[in-house]
Amino acid sequence: MMRTSLAMRSLTITLALACGLSGMARAGVDEALSRHVLPGFGAFAESSAALAASAKEDCRAEALKPAYHAAYDAWMGVSHLHLGPLEQGGRALAIAFWPDTRGMVGRTVAGLVADADPVVDSAEDFADVSVAGRGLMALERLLYEPHLAGYGKGDYQCRLARAISVDLARMAREMDEEWPDFAGLLRSAGAPGNDVFLKPEEASQALYTALMSGLEFNRDQRLGRVMGSFERPRPNRAEARRSERSLRNVVLSLEALRDMARALADGPMEDSEAAFAQALERAEALDDPVLAGVATPQGRLKVEVLAQEIRRIEEAVAQEIGVALGVTAGFNSQDGD
Amino acid sequence: MKTSMTAMALVLGFGAPALAGKAEVLETYADIAHAGYEDSLLKARELQAAIETLLADPSPETLNAARAVWIEARVPYQQTEAYRFGNPIVDDWEGKVNAWPLDEGLIDYVDSAYGGATDENQLAALNVIANPTFTLSGEEIDAREITPELLADRLHEADAVEANVATGYHAIEFLLWGQDLNGTEPGAGERPWTDYASGDDCTGGNCDRRGAYLTAATELLISDLEWMTAQWADGGGAREAVTADPDAGIVTMLTGMGSLSYGEQAGERMKLGVMLNDPEEEHDCFSDNTHNSHFYDGLGVRNVYMGEYVRVDGSVVSGESLSSLVAESDEAVDAALRADLNATMIELGQIKASAEAGTSYDQMLARGNEEGEALIMSAVDALVKQTRSIERAVTALGVGQIGFEGSDSLDNPDAVFQ
Repeated sequence: MMRTSLAMRSLTITLALACGLSGMARAGVDEALSRHVLPGFGAFAESSAALAASAKEDCRAEALKPAYHAAYDAWMGVSHLHLGPLEQGGRALAIAFWPDTRGMVGRTVAGLVADADPVVDSAEDFADVSVAGRGLMALERLLYEPHLAGYGKGDYQCRLARAISVDLARMAREMDEEWPDFAGLLRSAGAPGNDVFLKPEEASQALYTALMSGLEFNRDQRLGRVMGSFERPRPNRAEARRSERSLRNVVLSLEALRDMARALADGPMEDSEAAFAQALERAEALDDPVLAGVATPQGRLKVEVLAQEIRRIEEAVAQEIGVALGVTAGFNSQDGD
Repeated sequence: MKTSMTAMALVLGFGAPALAGKAEVLETYADIAHAGYEDSLLKARELQAAIETLLADPSPETLNAARAVWIEARVPYQQTEAYRFGNPIVDDWEGKVNAWPLDEGLIDYVDSAYGGATDENQLAALNVIANPTFTLSGEEIDAREITPELLADRLHEADAVEANVATGYHAIEFLLWGQDLNGTEPGAGERPWTDYASGDDCTGGNCDRRGAYLTAATELLISDLEWMTAQWADGGGAREAVTADPDAGIVTMLTGMGSLSYGEQAGERMKLGVMLNDPEEEHDCFSDNTHNSHFYDGLGVRNVYMGEYVRVDGSVVSGESLSSLVAESDEAVDAALRADLNATMIELGQIKASAEAGTSYDQMLARGNEEGEALIMSAVDALVKQTRSIERAVTALGVGQIGFEGSDSLDNPDAVFQ
């Protein structure tokens, strides 16, 4: 035992020295940052800014829907990157508060509208509003909930939609501005003075954890919550079902995760490629935008098969990328109940 | 060879602490679990006695006495929460005693602002205490007699909705305090003692059924804690499971520490409440005891790492620690993790201090309360920081690789190292 720990210790020291001297990021980290992470946050900032511009131009529901979908699409490109800027100030919750197990979004939006809460008139104050009244899920209610969506230019809902869009654009812009610094920390993991990532492999582990947690979230939450139990499927729990994005979100998220996996992999990942391809094919063949099919045993089975295929991606990625990087997934923010 | 190893040890700055083996560390871990659940059981029995007194002789004094014991009972229980994640025996059982948040309208009367059934929960406003018979998933239920079986087998998580919490600490808490209708203003639940009075003095209706509910829920809490205490005794299932494979046992310890620190406490219980500005999003929301709930969760994580637990009678259970095991592999990682755990206790202590001085946890959640938010978020940050150190301890011990072998690990989302 003594012998093992000594050997490990000297190995670690050697590694740290080697990387410290060369100042090189570990394989995959740089690629993931430059090919996936930074462009992804750039695209999200751009489409959120377009959403805010659209809302300033015309904040009525029909006018705003295209920009809402574009921003949501871009969000799916980065929503799994739960590290650094996205973890600051509760942004992940404020951008898309889901799952919403206690119906807080509906209640909070209804409350703001009923009170005609003047908080919407100050961007600074609006940033303090409950996350259930902000972000894409709150905006979805305004745009798609029949009793809310018929508002005109002079109505309170219009101001609320504008405030939500502007707030979203602010968060997206801030993250886009902050990421280069955080990327620097990941790239210089293990270098002297870097007190966030103490060893080179900690940067790989942080990105790998985001990848694995993202896969798990699709399986366990986006699909798992809707499937419920065999006796009691839960179609009403589908993510963003009002704007019919439930399946689209799974597909876009898997595509983004594949993009990240390819960048992070230091070589070919045949099994992972095959598993991604099969899951994506299955998802697209479902042709069921809000996963309503889970209500029937046959339809539920199809969603369950897709969930199993995502599990196969997780297994392949663990073998092909985790082992190669020499890391296992760390804790993720969904570890609670 | 022997000489050169000694020389290397000197060069690398190894001190000569007693070598703690994984088996001894796990024994300490199981001993602390046993003591913690046994303490929780002892306190639950005290709670039962206080509730018997309340029901025999309802008065402001007897109600307050029962509330005081409930607060005390939370002290040992919250410290056991570090055992929940990673030990399947605990995790599968935990929902019976500490499920939260709850749709309390299932149990008893609520304020009109509470609303009725929701998309997520058709039974959110069922009010069993007022309804001797009702329909559940199409089935007629006879609830004329409120028994532990009715609560545990029919009502708890009824309709597969987790917010249907019919048993455990928080159901009892609701029956002792009632809803906290003060929002993010000062004050806890204000259930009048007359909710347990007899005859014309009875308020809230059905006082006898309310008393029966309280009795049944407390009885269940005791039997559940008896069961879990036995699981950690010599030869108990949970002790056997965690000590069977030393490497896996050490992973269990660290999984429990990390999952409670990060996803559960920092995320679900603390950050979410701040981000929602919702006073219902506080863990002990009826009693305004949330500051203690968080503090003792944090202390429980520290207990696991330091191999030390102070019992409710002041005696100490201690033994070989995970800390010494990590220090053998990497002294710097151990020192950083100990420092992080202590820093967290200071942050949680500041929340507790503020709450005990009169600014309750729900007030800290109010929209625009920047001081309150800063107080909570600095504890969240400390918990996140200690999670990173826990991950480093996993790496230092070299136990993280064991899960690569099979895909079973993926069945268990809490097995985060796998």
